[in-house]
Amino acid sequence: MNWSAPLPGVVLVGTVLVAGAYVASVLDAGAARLVAGRPLRVGELVAGPWREAALLARIRRSTTERPDAQTWALAPALLAAMAGVAVATVPLAPGVAVADVDDGIVLFGAAMAVVMVGAFLHGWSSNSVFPLVGGYRFVALALSYEMPLALVLIAAALPAQSLSVGAIVESQQGLWNVVRQPLGLPLFLVAGMGLAFWGPLGMSDGADLAGGTGVEASGPDRLAWALARHFVLVAVAVMGAAVFLGGWQGPGLPGALWMAIKTLVLLAVVVGVGHRVARIRLERFVVVAWAVLIPLALVDVFASGALAL
Amino acid sequence: MELQLLLVVSAALFGIGVYGALSQQTFVMIMMGIELMLNGAMLAGVALWGVSGAGAPKGQLLIVIILTVMAVEAALGFALVIGIFRTRQADMTEMLDELQG
Amino acid sequence: MTDAALVADVAIWLFGGGSVVAAWLVFRTDSMVRAAYWLLASFVAVGMVMVLLQARFLGLVLVLMMAGEMTIMAAFMVMFMMNPAGLNPMSMVHQHTTAKVAGVVAFAGLAFVGLVAEFPDRPVDPASEPTAELGEELLGDSMLIFETAGVTLLATMIGAIAIAGKRGRFGNAQEGSAPPPVDPDAPAGPDAHPSPMHGGHGGHGGMHH
Repeated sequence: MNWSAPLPGVVLVGTVLVAGAYVASVLDAGAARLVAGRPLRVGELVAGPWREAALLARIRRSTTERPDAQTWALAPALLAAMAGVAVATVPLAPGVAVADVDDGIVLFGAAMAVVMVGAFLHGWSSNSVFPLVGGYRFVALALSYEMPLALVLIAAALPAQSLSVGAIVESQQGLWNVVRQPLGLPLFLVAGMGLAFWGPLGMSDGADLAGGTGVEASGPDRLAWALARHFVLVAVAVMGAAVFLGGWQGPGLPGALWMAIKTLVLLAVVVGVGHRVARIRLERFVVVAWAVLIPLALVDVFASGALAL
Repeated sequence: MELQLLLVVSAALFGIGVYGALSQQTFVMIMMGIELMLNGAMLAGVALWGVSGAGAPKGQLLIVIILTVMAVEAALGFALVIGIFRTRQADMTEMLDELQG
Repeated sequence: MTDAALVADVAIWLFGGGSVVAAWLVFRTDSMVRAAYWLLASFVAVGMVMVLLQARFLGLVLVLMMAGEMTIMAAFMVMFMMNPAGLNPMSMVHQHTTAKVAGVVAFAGLAFVGLVAEFPDRPVDPASEPTAELGEELLGDSMLIFETAGVTLLATMIGAIAIAGKRGRFGNAQEGSAPPPVDPDAPAGPDAHPSPMHGGHGGHGGMHH
């Protein structure tokens, strides 16, 4: 990337995030209709996200008693920025990466750790009980799945002998990591669902908390938070497509198209799971994460290491 | 010149950390002071490694050790805070001014 | 000086200065959560300086580690403090003058050494791969040190769990637990405080030694 002209990079990352978020919410609404056995009305589905966004943008803001307004505004910005950082490290087509740095997956890990900061701040800053409980839930979850997330990324880096996402994509020529390391992608998606508090891991903003960290946000604030959350989901899907599904590699079609298809598939999987799997109780998930997911991730690392030798 | 200024910055971080660790009453705030001291030490280490040490790998190893110290300090610090709160319901140094119990 | 080098230099100064400002704000803010995240900001700034000085892996690991640790700190603050959100101005300090003097002396001494001592000018070769070199070092010559750090962390984990666990060494850790008397003349013990949990917290806001 040319650092003296950052505009093309910013536009590219922004386009990926916005397009991905739009597609994810269309898929989400479609899956909801399918699950409920209602007819899919394509026109309504396609217009749905725009209508919702326009509605939220026009609703009046509400506020609480003595919120920490600056950090409240900062929280969605942090999530969106970190999603952007994550997407920037991924090559979206052969040779087209905004910042394919040589420590790419470490940068991704750091960005996702900062997502935790954003979610906690969003819960805490409105000075209200349910959001704070939601923030706590996010932190408890995040501390549990960060370790498997880091381990499966390390396992993916082993055959590439590099921490750069570009090198990891190159290393999957002929054999994708999803086949070579079958444990990697499921564990990664579990962590990804947690990061975007989606589906079964959507505890921090769950309905049982009356909306969790987002209870007090209304209008544009709610729109910003929903967007930020979708951006994180897109970043996870893009990274998963690159690290486990071979990125831009594939026969026939151009690389960018393959990347888009794979990202879409992962988005569809996550959205589908979100509609088919019930929310898990927090303490149960924490036990599973430490007692099952981390050992599985370790097996993944050991097996990948043995294969790479 | 760059190295000198970075060392002054790291000294400032260390000094603020010393002030915090000595002046704060809350256990967690004291830990923040200690962390700031380690932060200053780490910056000095990286500055010397990067500007004057010709990038010797041993310099990075030292930073890894400082990171380990930080992790140990944080883990034990939090454990002690919880332990003290369980037995004495205290979260400030002044609450622990008697030896009994 | 090329453009890129100039940008890197300016960025180092901005992040370096920013780390000091953020560190200062840790002890100037009334809100505990803000204090924790100002400290995180200071760490992130130092991490960025590390990245700009070519210690890329370590700088990013610092950010990764500290984002988690500071969130835990913030969570602790909200759990244990009577005034986590910073609704009231507060100052919870003791031996303030001593602390200020010690801080200034520490800064002056270290800054003096940093300014006076002469260090050779041997910057990192931009073409080198510090991450790979660190890996070779950790699993090569310095493996014993690395392993020692690992064992230390393991011992820390076990020790921390033993200290913090609800099942204490002598039975339930919370048994007979009572808040210490805030007023030095008041008697200690569970009977002295009608509501033991956080019973004494309301009175600490103005504590100022």
